[in-house]
This record gives sequence, C-alpha cells and structure tokens, in this order.
Amino acid sequence: MADRPVTILVSAIGGEGGGVLAGWIVGAARIAGYPVQSTSIPGVAQRTGATTYYIEVFPVPVSELGGREPVMGIYPGIGDIDVMIASEFAEAGRAIANGFVTPDRTMLIASTHRVYAINERGAMGDGRFDPARLETAVAERAREAFVADFRDAAEREGVSLNAVLLGVLAARGGLPMEPEIYRQAIEETGVAVTPNLKGFEAGLALSPDGRTAPSTAERQAPAPETGIREDFPETAQDILAEGAARLLSYQDRRYADRYLDRLSAVRDAEAAAGGDGTLLLETGRQLALRMSYEDVIRVAQLKIAPDRMARIREEVRAADGDPVIVIDYFKPGIEELCSVLPPALAVPVMALARRRGWIGRAHLGMRINATSISGYLRLRLLASLRGWRRRSWRFAEEQKQIDGWLDDVVGAARLSLPLAHEVASLAGLIKGYGDTFRRGAENYARIRARLVAAALSGQMPATTAADAVANAKAAALADPDGNRLELVLDAVDSDVASAAE
Amino acid sequence: MATERSFRKEVELLRLGDGGTFQGEGILAVTKALLQSGVSYVGGYQGAPISHLMDVLSDAEPVLDELGIHFEVCGNEAAAAAMLAASVNYPLRGAVTWKSVVGTNVASDGLSNLASAGVMGGVLIVVGEDYGEGASIIQERSHAFAMKSAMCLLDPRPNLPTIVRMVEEGFRLSEASNMPAMLELRIRACHVYGRFPARDNVAAAFSRNNPIAEADFDFSRVCLPPATYSQEKHKIEHRLPAAIRYIAEHGLNEHFDGDVGEIGIVVQGGIYNTLMRSLNQLGLADVFGDSRIPIFALNVTYPLVPDEIAGFCAGKSAVLIVEEGQPAYIEDAVHAILRKADINTRIVGKDVLPLAGEYTSETVLRGVRSFVGTHAPASLDVADAVARVDGLLADKDRARAALFDDLPLRTPGFCTGCPERPLFSAIKILERELGPAHVSADIGCHTFASLPPFNVGNTVMGYGLGLASSAGLAGNFGKRVVSIMGDGGFWHNGMVSGVAAAQANNSDQVLLVVNNGYTSATGWQLLPSSRQDRHGRQRDMSIEKAMKGLGVRWIRTVRTYSIARMIDTLREAMTTAENGLKVIIADGECMLARQRRIRPEVAKRLSEGKRDVRVRFGVDEDVCTGDHSCIRLSGCPSLTVKDSADPLRTDPVAHVNNDCVGCGVCGEVSHAAVLCPSFFEARIIRNPGLWDRLLAAFRARVISLMAPGHG
Repeated sequence: MADRPVTILVSAIGGEGGGVLAGWIVGAARIAGYPVQSTSIPGVAQRTGATTYYIEVFPVPVSELGGREPVMGIYPGIGDIDVMIASEFAEAGRAIANGFVTPDRTMLIASTHRVYAINERGAMGDGRFDPARLETAVAERAREAFVADFRDAAEREGVSLNAVLLGVLAARGGLPMEPEIYRQAIEETGVAVTPNLKGFEAGLALSPDGRTAPSTAERQAPAPETGIREDFPETAQDILAEGAARLLSYQDRRYADRYLDRLSAVRDAEAAAGGDGTLLLETGRQLALRMSYEDVIRVAQLKIAPDRMARIREEVRAADGDPVIVIDYFKPGIEELCSVLPPALAVPVMALARRRGWIGRAHLGMRINATSISGYLRLRLLASLRGWRRRSWRFAEEQKQIDGWLDDVVGAARLSLPLAHEVASLAGLIKGYGDTFRRGAENYARIRARLVAAALSGQMPATTAADAVANAKAAALADPDGNRLELVLDAVDSDVASAAE
Repeated sequence: MATERSFRKEVELLRLGDGGTFQGEGILAVTKALLQSGVSYVGGYQGAPISHLMDVLSDAEPVLDELGIHFEVCGNEAAAAAMLAASVNYPLRGAVTWKSVVGTNVASDGLSNLASAGVMGGVLIVVGEDYGEGASIIQERSHAFAMKSAMCLLDPRPNLPTIVRMVEEGFRLSEASNMPAMLELRIRACHVYGRFPARDNVAAAFSRNNPIAEADFDFSRVCLPPATYSQEKHKIEHRLPAAIRYIAEHGLNEHFDGDVGEIGIVVQGGIYNTLMRSLNQLGLADVFGDSRIPIFALNVTYPLVPDEIAGFCAGKSAVLIVEEGQPAYIEDAVHAILRKADINTRIVGKDVLPLAGEYTSETVLRGVRSFVGTHAPASLDVADAVARVDGLLADKDRARAALFDDLPLRTPGFCTGCPERPLFSAIKILERELGPAHVSADIGCHTFASLPPFNVGNTVMGYGLGLASSAGLAGNFGKRVVSIMGDGGFWHNGMVSGVAAAQANNSDQVLLVVNNGYTSATGWQLLPSSRQDRHGRQRDMSIEKAMKGLGVRWIRTVRTYSIARMIDTLREAMTTAENGLKVIIADGECMLARQRRIRPEVAKRLSEGKRDVRVRFGVDEDVCTGDHSCIRLSGCPSLTVKDSADPLRTDPVAHVNNDCVGCGVCGEVSHAAVLCPSFFEARIIRNPGLWDRLLAAFRARVISLMAPGHG
C-alpha cells in the first residue's frame, strides 16, 4: 500500500482560475474514488496577489482502505511536493524559492508567461525580473519540467489557461487518474463545460517538450543602404539603417543624411580608440531617438500611420466587420505648443509663461476621434506641419542639445571608451512628454554638469567617471522625485573630495 | 445575495441525513454541524476566513426556514456577540461567527457580559483565526479572550469529522458548563475540502416554529452588581470545573499512543495534521497517523484538563508543546500543571519553535527535527532521518537565496477597473500641488492604497476608525488631515465613532467615504446602503442622508472615475475657509460586482443580435517612450508592460492587456496628470446597425483618400 499521498501544489495569481483548476483535480480524484483533501489560501484573490491551492490525493481507493483514513496535510511541505503547477513564471520561481520544487520528487508544470508585479511595471526603465534566472532555477530544481507559454496556447484556442494546464497535467500523468476522469470532472461542474473541455484537449495534445509555435512573425528590419554598408562597421549597420529609416519618415532625406554625418565623427573617434563599433551602435540608437523627438507633429504622424487601425483592431480583438471608433487623448501644454512655433515667437511666449507660472499648469485638453473625418483631418493637418518643423524653436533647441551631447561622446572617447559608452547611453534619460520630459532633461543636465563635465575637463579620472555616470543614471531611474540621484551625486562628490585629500 | 461566491448548489448538502456522506468545504461542514446541533438562531459579521459561512447561511435560508432558525446579518461583531443574549435566560442554542482577532476585539464588550452572565442554552462562536500566511490583519491570538472571560476554546483537528464533532460537542460543553464556547478555525481549515458521515438535522425545541411563551427574569443573570460579583465566583467554583469534567469524560482531547514512550508531543488540534506530516517526513509516523511518539491532541485548548496533561507527561523525559502564536499560554499552563503535580518532565516548546508567526509545514518540521535530534531516547535512531531533513532544509535555503532575495513581491492591489483606483490617483496628482497629505486609512480594499504604486495611507487603526484615528492629529498638524472610510466601515461603526464624534467636536477635517456598494474586501456582502437587500428589496438608507442627519453641512458626492472633478473637489475641501467636517462621498460601484452583474446582460444582448458597444483602452506603443508614469499613477493590473517592437528602444513599453474593462482611468490619469498622448480609447461596436456600418465605411473611405500616400 502507498506510504504517502500524492501532493499537488497549485500557485496562481488572483483571477487566473487557480481555484477552479484545484476544484477539477479534487473532483477527478473523488470520481476516481480516491481519498482527497484540498485547501487554499485564496487570500485577497481577485486583487492581484499570489494564491496557492494545496491538494493531497491518496492513491488507493477508499473502498480498499477498510475504513482506515489517511491523515492529510493542509500545508505544502518543503521537499514534499510531487506535482507543482504554476500558472505564471515568477510564481514558479516563488515555489522553487519556498522549497516546493525538488530534484528528487517534483514534476513542475509552469507557464512561462509573465504577469508583472507592480514594481516591475512601474519602474522608470526596465524593472522586469530576469527570466534567465527563472529558467536556470527550473532546470536545476525540478525532477522534470514542462514549461512553455501555456497562456499563449490558451489564447490562440480562445480558452482559459487553467483548462490547458489541467490538460498538460493529464498528459504528463502526475496523478493516478486517466484523462477521461478529468473530462468527467469538468463536465460535473456544469460551468463553461464546452470551452473548458476544448482547453483541456488542447493541453492534452501539447507535445511533451511543451513547445508551442511562436505566435508572432519576426519583424523585418530595413536592409542597410549602400552608404551605411560602405561607411560604417558591421556591428552597427542594422541599428543605423533602422535610425536612418526612422528619420526619413520623421522628417526627410536630408535629415536622415545628417544623422549619418553626425555619426561619422563618433565612428572615427571610436576607431581611433580601438573600439569595435559598440559605441557607434549605442550612439546611433540614442541619436535616432533624440533626432526623432516627440513633438505634436510626430505624435500626429504616428496617430495617422496607415497600419495603426489594423494594429488596434487586432489588439482590441474586434471581430471582422465590427466598426471600431478610436478616441485619442491629447493635452499639450504651453511648451508643446511653443515647440512648433518659430524661435522669434516661441522664446518670448515661453519667457512669459515661465514668469506667470503657466508651465506645467496651462494645457489644452482635447479628445480627438481619430476615426471621424474631422478628427482625422485635424491630425492630418498637424502631421503636415512636418516641413515646417525645421523652422521651429524646439528643432533648433534639440539640434543644439544633440550637438553638445555628441561632442561629449567624441571627447569622452578620446579618454576612455567605457566612459564614452556611458555618456552616449545617458541620453536615454531624456524621453517622454510634459513632466516626464522635463524631469529627464533636468536629470541629464545634472549628471552632465557634475560628472561628465568633470571627466572631460580632467578633474575626475575617466574610469571613476564611467562608473559614476552609470550609477547616476541608474539612480535617476530609481525614483521620480530624484532623491536617489541626489544621494548618488553627493556620494560621488565626497568620494572625489576624500580622494583628493 | 450579491456575494463573491454563491453556495446555492452546495446548500443541498445541508439537507443530507443519516447515512449520507457530506463532501465539501470546511465552512460548509460547520454549517451542517450547526443544523445537526439544533440551533435556534445564527448570525455574525463577514470577514475572511469565515465570510463564506455568512454567505452559506444566507443562501441556506430555505433550509433554515424549515427548521425555524433565525438568521441575522449583524451590524458588526459587537452586535453579533450581543445577539447571544438570547441564550442567557432561555434554553436556545445559538451560534455566531466573525473574523478574529479583530472581530473578537470589537465583540469583546458583549462577550465579557455574556460570559459573566453565563448561558443556559449552548452558545458557539465560530472564530476565523486570521493568523499567518494570507492573513490580512494584525497578528494576535484569540486565545487570551477565552482565558480572560472564561469561555471554552475549541481548536479541532482540521479534518471534517473532527470539526463537525467539535461543533456538536461545543454546544453540549457550553450547556454543561454555562460557558460560551469559541470554536477556532484557521484559514486553511475553513477552506479544507473533505468528507464526513452526515446525520439528520435537528429542529430545536424552541424556535421560530415554536416560540418561547414566557419571559424569564433572573437577577443573577443580569450584569449588574452585586450579581457580577457572584458571577465571577461562579466561573471559578462551578463553570470551569464543570467544563473540565465534561472535556475529560467525553474524551474531547485525543491521546494517540506510540511505542517510544520516553517522549511525547502535546499539540493544538488545529496543528495536528501539520505535525503528522513532519513526523512522516522524519520517518516517525505512517500516513494513517500511527506515530511512534505518543501524541496528545488538544481539541479544547482552554480550559486544559490538568489530570490529562499530568497523566500524559508523567514518566516521560521530554514533551514537546506545539502551540502556534504568542504568548505561549498553553506551554506556560503545562509548566504550572506539572510543577503543582511535582512532575519533572522536561518541557520543550518555544525554544525549538518560533514564538511568533504561523506554524507552517516547514516551521513545524524544523521544530520537531530539533526536538527529536536532542531528546530522542537511545532506542530511537533518528540520525538518518535528521540528516535527510537537514539536507532538505539546507537545500531549500540555497534555492531561496538564489531567487527569493529579489523576486518581485506580488502585493495585493486594486482590481482591474476598480473605482477606488482613480480616487487615489487623484490624491497622488493633487499631492504634486499641495504637497503630501497625512492620510488616516481604514480597513477595506482601499487599505491597499498604502502599498505601491500609491503609498497613500499613513496609519490603519481598525475597521471604521479612519476618521476617529485622525482626532488627535488633526489639531496638531499644519494641514487638514485626510481620513478614509469605506461604506462598510461607515455602517460598522464609523458613522458614530467617526462622523458623529467629529461633528460633536466641530473638527476641521476632510473625510473621503469610499462608497462602492458592498463590503467588497470580504466578498461583496450587502450593506444598509447597498442598492438592494439580500431579498432583492429596495432600501432607502443612504450615507449622504445619514450624514445630513448628523448635521454635516459640507458634503459632495463625486463619481470616482471623474478624476478632474475629484481633484477639484478635494482641492476645495483641503483649502476652503469653511470650518468643520468636509465629506466627499466617492461613488463608484465595485467593478468586480458590476462586471458580474452586467456580463450576463451583455451576453444576452449579443446573443439576441442587439447592438452593444464594448469600450477598451490601449497604448500606441510607438508613441510610448517607456517611462511608465501612467502605471505608477494607476497600478491597474491590465496596464502592464511588454517588449518594445521598436529596435531602437530597449525599455519595455506600456501595454493594456485584454482584461481591460474600459473604465478609462488610465486615459483619465494620463490626461489629468498630463503624462503623454499614448492612450487611446477604442469603442468596438458589436452587432452594428446599418447606420454604424455605413458611417464606418464612409469614414474609412474618405480617410483613406486623405492618407499621406494620397496627399
């Protein structure tokens, strides 16, 4: 007779149907006549928290136990889990960290999709947990693992994830129940039986390695033009081609050529320092973004892009033939409006706005129906200001800023390539709109003034400066109020001061 | 009833009789046990983990009616405790339930008086012990209440037959001792799925079907001196000895013998299964509960039976006490019992097990391993098992160190489309202008605002106490203090302890009442101000009317989704020269409840071919620059990030996934905070009419002619 129950732990995120999945497993075990117990910490279930369900199935039918009752646990035990089902990949990681996945015992079934936690989503840059660490942990800790993007499989079938996971469990045979028993358990609930059976069959049919076909086709990158191929090292060619194409659609051929012209100085400086093209690549990437800065003209261009409606229809899953009305939210402030005016007008208006405290306060709120003729016309009109852009105040300002930054990159390359790389990527702080843009530009300016300038003028050793710039950039992205950045900058100051003593 | 879970189907299980086998959840089993015990009345106040008990009772009203049982949804736990007064003078069995320890705190005035008067009819209080993993409240034991008020405390082994037996015995114990009995169920026990042999339901001798005819007056049962003095003596001289006699005579505690008699383990019933799994992992017990070490399981943890404890410990060199939480009342009591009996058995407990925190499988395994590692007699070779478990524990620590240190925390937050989110977005946006406010938070879903991304809420003092908890600070703080209160908290006690008191004290404060129509955090139970009662009848009990009745002059009702209006109203409340209490009723129906309500309606409309407009929001990923301010000001679960398709951008872009319910808060926040023009609202017209199709086709045609390629 078996000397222990089969133990199953299901971890899920509120609203993912972990409870329903556990219910099916319990139902199947009951139909098969096995003693079964389950319990859960549904906690604050619908509210994005992690939930767990723990099930024990004693693999001997009640009828053969002669009245004896196994004592079933209500807590999952470390090193004691036979089947671990995680409906999300970080939750699989949590189960591993909690000791519920062990090499001698545990079969792990996990969907590799991520549902990002709030601190991952809300980070000012990329705050996502490194999936490679999860993959390593899975490979090291599970006796056998069936991991794949089961959510993607479910979405393609139009069924729910939990039904697919039940199918995978049935196929992998972690429990003493045949697939038919699980089908009966689904039917017995009487809830959404048809789609859930469909999902179950989909999971059952997935191949043992859990692989599913990639859902989206690879994006076609523009082929580098002859000029780029001849003039720039191969490492950077793809990005430069991407950048040139971006600026061609953003402005015109002349502007795209200017992009490549500007980069030739960086290319030469890097070559002189013995670099391999990675500085050029990073600078080319940042430069394309800086030169295609987001003004109202650019936003209007993007909002009337020909493929936009098709993309939105797919994203919102509109059925063929169902009309979709798209309403865009705009709220340009004084700065955004001035950005398209010529300097002669914009400068005095901005000065007035600053005196009156209108910056960040006075806005023109608009909701434009981009699918209506009048709405589209307004956007089209804004987008057609593209030719005018060259004469705008913001254009002049941006070019000045960009040239200053490129001079820094080239100057830094003469001192140290790592420093130059940091100076190049520092431009990534400048992004977004309104407050976000102002905050990024201010942070950039602070780091530029206190670290980059010091390095370029020889007041700070280049290697120290490279680290300091990298730290400062990370700090600027740590909190929107700039508290961390101030701490880091002060720490650098005191380090430099003590080194000087 | 509009609750999270309907138990209509399961309620049929409550009709099972002799010979039937009940299979279901713990909390439903408790309900069945109440019916088998012949109760005359039941009641309580919802809260995890016993919310479902209230929901089951509510859904079970037809069964209750047949048996003449009165069911009361109490206003709060104090009211539920007071309801038990029915059993003081009359032979009526009654049961109430609440979340503990907080509910017991609220109830304790009534409980003290009830316990002093003593009961004639059996009284059972089912307390959901919300302690440990998944708990949502401050961490304290309910045990102290049983001790201080002289109530029995049952803590059954977490399998359904034992839970059911202890419910039934609880009433008999209560009647035998005149003490109210508390039955403590931990979270996992409430949700445990299992089976037990059912018995027939019992109709009470007196009930709605056969009311008591005559009033009883007995001054010795009135809580007024001098009766209270004799009641206190009665507890010691009569009730406790009677309880101890009953517990011993009816074998409520269970002794499981083992062949290694030199040592033993005393365990709270509720922890028994976890202990057994640990012994099993150590090779000291089989799966059917046959343990080599003798075990004494306390299904009644107060009062202890001194003779039982002394008898179990006598002749043993060491006994482990497995008792969850602190202070270690049981361990201390065992020490005292053994000392008085002059038994010198070594007592091991909180020295190998933690004083604070939940006794999970791992915790108990570590404790038992430590106990047997030190105290196992020479005849019991545990070296191999201990080494294996040590390997397991070390292995786990390594796995944890490799991942857990920075694995993202998944803290609870507002649901997709939650009406409370825009309220806190408005507070965050206004903070940019007025500086950070001191916010006295309350209990409810809105407490989650204290967590990322909002981090709004400086103190939490208890349910309905948001406004009351501002009283001391309001006069000593340079700005107006903002208090939060939910509609649940308002009706629970906040109307009196908060609003009436602030009015009476002419307090200059700002109160935000989060009015979503349900006690949402406990599973959408209805409130006096809900649009309907549980029988579907309309009610006319609005919070605004109650406020006016209390003389509040400055009241504004604002739909929470109107962020701009909310900001303006809040600014006015914070800055107006008008003195006194300023109340903003933030209105917005709980989105989960709303979705539940309208989803079938929409499905029906669609299947009938009727026109329906589905609203969804989205982000233009080429316009998004990846700063994620929108997420920090919203936190909506459906507003997430994805890889940018743009090879020039390395940061992930914001993305609205398909859980979006179209509440529009992301777009509104982006608009109100002037973040970026990435958001769009898509209105998908399903089953479009002829006019919809013609208009769309015409617009598309004209727009394609104007497209850049043509211009």
